[in-house]
Amino acid sequence: MAGSGIYLPERIVSNEEIAEALGLDPDYIFKSAGIRRRRWASSTETTSSLAVAALGRALKDARLAPADVDYLLFGTMTPDRFIPGTAAAVQRKNGLRDIPCLDIRATCCNALYGLQIARALIATKVACNVAICLAEIQSPWLEMSPESGKISMLFGDGASALIVSAARGEASLEILDILLATDGNYMDDLGIRSPGTEFGRPGKAADSLPRMVGQSVILQASRKVVTACEAILQRNHIAVEEVRWVVPHEGNSNLLARVMRNLSVSAEKTTAISVMEDLGNTSSASMGIAIDKLRRAHETKSGDYVLLPAFGAGFTWGAGLCRVS
Amino acid sequence: MTIPAAALDFLTERAKTVGVASPVRDDDLFKSGVLDSFQLVDLIVLLEANGGIKIPDPDIDAENFHSIAAIEQYLSSRKD
Repeated sequence: MAGSGIYLPERIVSNEEIAEALGLDPDYIFKSAGIRRRRWASSTETTSSLAVAALGRALKDARLAPADVDYLLFGTMTPDRFIPGTAAAVQRKNGLRDIPCLDIRATCCNALYGLQIARALIATKVACNVAICLAEIQSPWLEMSPESGKISMLFGDGASALIVSAARGEASLEILDILLATDGNYMDDLGIRSPGTEFGRPGKAADSLPRMVGQSVILQASRKVVTACEAILQRNHIAVEEVRWVVPHEGNSNLLARVMRNLSVSAEKTTAISVMEDLGNTSSASMGIAIDKLRRAHETKSGDYVLLPAFGAGFTWGAGLCRVS
Repeated sequence: MTIPAAALDFLTERAKTVGVASPVRDDDLFKSGVLDSFQLVDLIVLLEANGGIKIPDPDIDAENFHSIAAIEQYLSSRKD
């Protein structure tokens, strides 16, 4: 990973602003999920427009021109259009060459899937510089009612972009391994049913709203993410004590704390990079935003191991392992 | 199979924390506030460590752990 960039919509929405409509106490939102505020996009912004800005910053960070990108991946759950993929819009708006453009629909694990695909494309010499855009505008789908309060309090909008290059630069993150898994038995426990072919065309209004069985998400994520982290460390012969940074997709701060504890991570030796308090759950974008925060903090040292855990709808989950160059 | 002492101690401590009476056999641990989703994860760790079993992910469902009786029934089924 030779470059990163983010873009956040200007509008900051506090817990106090939405709590009454959601039938919740502002403090409950913070205590139960670790969120104090989130960003919401304006009606003139699109998922691709957020991504375009983030990608521009990531290219600058990597000291690359748009013409240097030879493969574009785009992870989102909230595309500009049903068809074609949003990657095509970014290709046009960022002035990229006529390169392959691929949308990924692996929800909150999109960053990990993007990194795995990018690593494979580079290893097989299909591409030299892969751009990964990760962006969401989720706020228009949030129902602001007490019935949906515990879902709608969680989500925010934002974008991140990562550049994965064959060339290794100073303080870049070397992708050592990515481990991913899916169990489709839990498809109905987290997601949005419509639009699609399964639930009618156009389908019931309720099917176009986010659905979440919170208990199932917490119970399964708490176990599966820990198992994935342990497995990726074990197969790379790295002890958990050697991990310096944990950079997660974060859907809930309490869940991250449980994962860290069950991994037996020492708070003295390992730092988790959290963006939850200010941004909420930005789904596809969150891990990229956290990676950008890590890189810009300038606190990493050569040889530091970085663990990237994620869990999302499907359920799909996994972990990535990187090392600071 | 009876619930391991460490797990029972955990439930008793949780009851103190949330200010309710120590749970008895058929009390609903979720309705009383003794357990929530996060606490259930902790309880499962204790059951695995002290009950000599590995609980598979599909079994991690609140129904199996909503009372001491349900937990004991589940543990017995896992021992078969």
